[in-house]
Amino acid sequence: MNREFFNALAAIYPADRLLTRDVELLPYESDALTAFSAKPGAVVLPINEAEVIDTVRLCHALAVPFVARGSGTSLSGGSLPIPDGLTIGLNRLNRIKRIDPQQRIAVVEPGVINLHISEAAGPYGLYYAPDPSSQSICTIGGNIAFNSGGAHCLKHGMTSNHVLGMKVVLADGAVTEFGGESSDGIGIGPDLVGLFVGSEGLFGIALEITVRLMPLPELYRTVLAAYDDLGRAGDAVSMVVASGLLPGAMEIMDRLAIKAAEASVKAGYPDAEALLIVELEGEAPQVEAEFARLREIIAESGAFETRVAQDEEERTRIWKGRKGAFSAVGRLSPDYIVQDGVVPRSRLGEALVAIGALKAKYGLDVANVFHAGDGNLHPLILYDGREAGALAKAEALAGEILALCVNLGGSITGEHGIGMEKRDYLPAMFSEEEIDIMQRLRLAIDPKEIANRGKMFPGGDAPALSQHGMHPLERAGVISRE
Amino acid sequence: MTANAPNTVAELQALVRDSERLHARGNGSKTALHGGAVDAVVADISAIRGIVDYQPGEFTVTARAGTPVRELAAALNEQGQYLPFDPLLPEAATIGGAVASNLSGSRRYRYGGIRDFILGAAVVDGLGRAFRVGGKVVKNAAGFDLSKFLVGSLGRYAIMTELTFKVFPDAPRFRSLSFSYARLEEALAAIYFINQSIFELDALDLLPKDKRWQLLTRLGGDDETLPRRVERFMEAMTRETAPSHVAELDDCAALWDPLAALQGDCLVKVPLSPKQVPAFDALLTRDCRRYSVGGNIAWLATDDIASLDAALERCGLSGLCLRGAVELAIIGNPNDNVLADRVKQVLDPQNKLV
Repeated sequence: MNREFFNALAAIYPADRLLTRDVELLPYESDALTAFSAKPGAVVLPINEAEVIDTVRLCHALAVPFVARGSGTSLSGGSLPIPDGLTIGLNRLNRIKRIDPQQRIAVVEPGVINLHISEAAGPYGLYYAPDPSSQSICTIGGNIAFNSGGAHCLKHGMTSNHVLGMKVVLADGAVTEFGGESSDGIGIGPDLVGLFVGSEGLFGIALEITVRLMPLPELYRTVLAAYDDLGRAGDAVSMVVASGLLPGAMEIMDRLAIKAAEASVKAGYPDAEALLIVELEGEAPQVEAEFARLREIIAESGAFETRVAQDEEERTRIWKGRKGAFSAVGRLSPDYIVQDGVVPRSRLGEALVAIGALKAKYGLDVANVFHAGDGNLHPLILYDGREAGALAKAEALAGEILALCVNLGGSITGEHGIGMEKRDYLPAMFSEEEIDIMQRLRLAIDPKEIANRGKMFPGGDAPALSQHGMHPLERAGVISRE
Repeated sequence: MTANAPNTVAELQALVRDSERLHARGNGSKTALHGGAVDAVVADISAIRGIVDYQPGEFTVTARAGTPVRELAAALNEQGQYLPFDPLLPEAATIGGAVASNLSGSRRYRYGGIRDFILGAAVVDGLGRAFRVGGKVVKNAAGFDLSKFLVGSLGRYAIMTELTFKVFPDAPRFRSLSFSYARLEEALAAIYFINQSIFELDALDLLPKDKRWQLLTRLGGDDETLPRRVERFMEAMTRETAPSHVAELDDCAALWDPLAALQGDCLVKVPLSPKQVPAFDALLTRDCRRYSVGGNIAWLATDDIASLDAALERCGLSGLCLRGAVELAIIGNPNDNVLADRVKQVLDPQNKLV
């Protein structure tokens, strides 16, 4: 790392918030896409927005690439360090500045943990809707960068739909605000919040965010249906949609995912080829009436067992197994890749059959967990990184799944983003001209390409790909998956 | 102004390339948006129309930008679905115009606005390039989300030719109730009560009427449960917000057209937050107004645009003129932004699109 740059950093940060020693950098070498790791030149831990702004301006002046990082839960390698670049850890900007229950908004810093907003809003009968599976640790800044989703997107949308206003520092150091407190969101003029959210850290860093809160539903009705065939569970989803119901969530897990969830959180799931979770929410009289209809549909769909959550504890248990499914797969396999493609809902069955065929072709196990309501697949491809060529094989399989999603009229990513992982697949979805326009836009905002360099766009300088997928801390024996 | 009505995207591209300054227009239902483009060629998009793909089972619909909102709404209605962002001026506007101006009606309250339901678009930019932004499925996180950026962009960055939206099943029945309050603060307190309650309203508007403030509320549902929900809601509102008068109103289209009763030369939209309403309202004189979407959008009709402009400036608010003889459609606080400027540099570097 350049001496001039380091000295300038040292003028902003005391030694305990400017990390440069190998042992200090280790936790930052990887994020939740553990197949990749890279050593940053330094990590800084700002405690206020002025430090973030100064740091970005310094990086811009000296053309040092940086990546903003929250809790490092990106599944697409979005917060993977840039080799010898700067990692800006934002976890200490973790204040919920204000909750205004009357207007149903909260103003937060980027390092606030997703679930903490709901916890703070709960006493007012409100909550923050986007619920990525990592919501108990992921930060709102990371959610914004990757437009995170969750299980309730069909009805409530993704992160972008819940951000009303923000203050940001752009990659060239310009500080600007857009949106506001009105639920109309964007003021007069183009929707800049909508553009910034999901820009994968390439435009800059969110410093302060105004989010919309939602009233907690009066009643949830959560049903778990077991099927002896994955396709039948998929058909049940189409039947629910055709009936005119709008569930808050519809999720499917296949046999392998069920097995993993059972081994991990002991959710008490039935032994089945597929499980469907459907959740209705809203005013009690309506939910009760809808629930009666839903049960008829589930019965018609050929479920061999149906369980209804009788109380909040049972509801929590049903969801715990689903939300813990990713990490649970870690028990079944030393390594795995999570894919995030989307297909039109009506083509889910077709996609699952094709994934089954690919499994056989590659001789790898694939566990399927997905947001069935919005066609968002999450195939988990299991492999053992200690075997030579295993990662390459898993990646090839993942690539075929992404191509499949695009061919079926969907998307290569529903909520994890392109990041490092899928950048070579961007051309599968966008034309050369479309990618060129996106690149020009990036250059107009970040002429030196310092913000999260190497992500989203194909090619470029790639950080080292490790051949084994353990997190660097795991490899060092500091953490384990138990 | 010369008007050209391209029939295809290729014709529109050629028109952009051949023009020095170009102004896009759908059906021209928001007249004030077209006042400032006197020296520009008008690209009338209304011939680029028609529903391209509608998959009720996917909750998605794709239509060309010049498609009349009414045509799109009718097709969705046949399948029991609707555009939850409730495009304004449904009888006159094109869907492209609705997106470009970001104008939603009162039903936006339930699920959100255009930004919450736009999934993707095809556009022609200021260099005549035709390309797609966003996606066509209900969930997509690939690439920069320029489709959302188009919402409210007034055709100044790129001209939309096709749009994809998420749609939802609509309720079969609606009932409308009105609650009256002597003071604005009481009516706002009632909105705050609703905001934190379990009641899921389809729409919530506030307007001055006969020297009182009238809160218009609407619930949507089915025959089986709606009566019980209405009863519970009325009970809770009466108990918690002490209205001076409660009435059930005929649930007709005119009741929920926020512009229906507004009389004045100029018609203006002002996004604001409910807590900004009292200070702003105190600056208004004779103006006719309705605070829609739970007090988050003000609709105003005025004969004195200069005073309104000043009032907006004092409150740090911006307004968009829909109708009336104004030079600039945006009044009040100018909304310039460095990020929007960067997008302009890329999509329309010659500053053709006005």
